[in-house]
Amino acid sequence: MSDTIINLTNVITVLLLLVGAFFMLAGTIGFLRFPDFYSRMHATGKCDTLGEGLMLVALIVYGGATFVSVKILFLILFILLANPTSTHAIAKAAYDVGLEPWRKLDEEVAWLNTGDTGNSDESRAGEDGGEVR
Amino acid sequence: MTGTELFGTIGMVDVFLAMAITIVIASFVSLYRGIEGPGIFNRIIAVNVIGTKTIVLLVLIGFIYERPDFFDIALLYAILNFIMTIAATRY
Repeated sequence: MSDTIINLTNVITVLLLLVGAFFMLAGTIGFLRFPDFYSRMHATGKCDTLGEGLMLVALIVYGGATFVSVKILFLILFILLANPTSTHAIAKAAYDVGLEPWRKLDEEVAWLNTGDTGNSDESRAGEDGGEVR
Repeated sequence: MTGTELFGTIGMVDVFLAMAITIVIASFVSLYRGIEGPGIFNRIIAVNVIGTKTIVLLVLIGFIYERPDFFDIALLYAILNFIMTIAATRY
């Protein structure tokens, strides 16, 4: 009977770890592939928070009701508070500096005119604004 | 190998080790965007992403080697990552 309970705990842990790793890899692929800074932050800000929370919940399930689990619970609460706050701060700073959001028409027009992608133009404009500020 | 077994010869430590290797690979992929990515904000958010992946990696290392000291280090890394991001975006 105890073997069954331990196996059930391990199976729940492995499932939560796999789902968390899936979300984390999806966020990383989105961070690599999306065309704009804001959409990259859309990918990382949610997927990393959720993947991390799921992996830490899996480790709480594996560890049981000990002092270590309370520490990981505080870690999850802090991450759930701090990660959206930092994401909002980065987005607000980028918007204040003047980084324009990506639009498909703008990128196509810039690509047709200059042979360059619109993304690098926007990033250069953002860097210039940063120097002015 | 310490720790309980999942099934057969695969222990839970092996699962934690596989997850740690996955997180390291994802961190290196994020590091590519941090080096290559245009603009300063992509680099800031790459630092933020790698820092948040490092927290889970530290907790997994603490479970692999069964040393509870790593959880304090993970809490410290979380607080430092948050303060560093706020400072980099305010100034």
